[in-house]
Amino acid sequence: MDDFEAFLNDGGIVESDDAMPDEYRTAVFRFIELHANSEHMGGLTERDWIPRTPGLRHKMAVIAKTQDEFGHGHLLYMVAADMGVKTRQEMLEDLFAGRSRFHNVFHYRAKTWGHQVAIAFLVDAAALASQQAVFKNCSYGPYRRILKRIIAEEGFHMRLGEDRMMRIAQGSKMQRELFQQAIDDWWWPALQLFGPDSKPNDLLLRWHIKSERNEVLRDRWVQKFVPMLQSYGFTVPDPGLRFDEEQDRWVAGPIDWEPLKKTFANVGPDSARRIGEAAKHWEDSKWVREALATPLPELSDA
Amino acid sequence: MTMQIEAAVHRAISSVDDPEYPGISIVDLGLLESVEVDHDAHVRVGLIPTFSGCPALAVIATDVQAAVDAVESVQSCTVEWLSSPAWHTDRISHEARACLEKKYTIAIQLGQRSPTCPLCASKTEEQSLFGPSRCRSVHVCTGCGETVEVVRG
Repeated sequence: MDDFEAFLNDGGIVESDDAMPDEYRTAVFRFIELHANSEHMGGLTERDWIPRTPGLRHKMAVIAKTQDEFGHGHLLYMVAADMGVKTRQEMLEDLFAGRSRFHNVFHYRAKTWGHQVAIAFLVDAAALASQQAVFKNCSYGPYRRILKRIIAEEGFHMRLGEDRMMRIAQGSKMQRELFQQAIDDWWWPALQLFGPDSKPNDLLLRWHIKSERNEVLRDRWVQKFVPMLQSYGFTVPDPGLRFDEEQDRWVAGPIDWEPLKKTFANVGPDSARRIGEAAKHWEDSKWVREALATPLPELSDA
Repeated sequence: MTMQIEAAVHRAISSVDDPEYPGISIVDLGLLESVEVDHDAHVRVGLIPTFSGCPALAVIATDVQAAVDAVESVQSCTVEWLSSPAWHTDRISHEARACLEKKYTIAIQLGQRSPTCPLCASKTEEQSLFGPSRCRSVHVCTGCGETVEVVRG
């Protein structure tokens, strides 16, 4: 392990068929599986909104985003399965049985278009920031190469999110109220996406999977979004939030981590419905996978 | 003068990157079909989409519009998405192709043969017709096992 860690500290990149300590293999695998599950669950949320999205311009974006998320999930499941810890089938079975994890934000229900705007604007930004921090210094080659493309696409989602936010922020009183309610509902889940403060001996940091501590990423997000939302006349639902004149920065109030812990245990507000829907969707689309796997009959010349 | 403006407009459009491939210009991807500048410096830009349902069309048009508007002496600019000719992978420049392969591990489908792996140059096999984007499928390298996305021809 010491040699391996020295190799990683020298900027070494691990490929799928390289020898690696079991602990590293398991840690990287679990991280990619969590990411893959989250893309899959995120794709299902987007899909729910295709028929409910207002206007053709937004609808086109939501259709493409749905394909994006499922596509990312697909690539990540391939990379995860290659690590030889679980097969793709096992990962999906665990997901649908509620035995594995996916990101906290997918344990809440997107109830209004305002929620969808807040998700595209606040949550996508948080997800992108976390992924960029992984990509920056990721020691596992296959994951790093896929992240490169995922980040480029998520960056594009961010622009779509900003576009949505600008439209709703400049809209009618009713639209603005809808968005304020959405900020109230999604601010904390989005902020908790970064997770609690990293432990001093965080193995993901030590093995160059993550490159920055959770609290650093979370704080950077707060510094960006508090002034941005306020500049459009919206309020942030954190009664303890204050501006520290001396340090010239925003300081968030105390964070209640209980909701996050519940999502980790798959008992968040919408976990049961989400997992049930995901399993049903997989079952309902079985015929498509079977049809694709069936070889075409030979065409006869007769 | 018109020719100078035309050259400047061309340079401006070349500076617009594809929103899904930062670092690769839309001109190198073959999206620019025509630039017309009349004697009063009114500009008409004709673009063609890779796929008609591409969600990036509005963003690309906005970026091109802003880039051309910023060119000195341009009076006005109209950006249009043309319905023909159809885009094909052979419109991607060699530079963009090299960048897609090296930076993004994305191969390009040209003709019928399955493209080779950007990492080890072995043959790739199609794994799924669709990937994260309408214009890409997913292949697996038969040599190193890499998951390779392929821009469909």
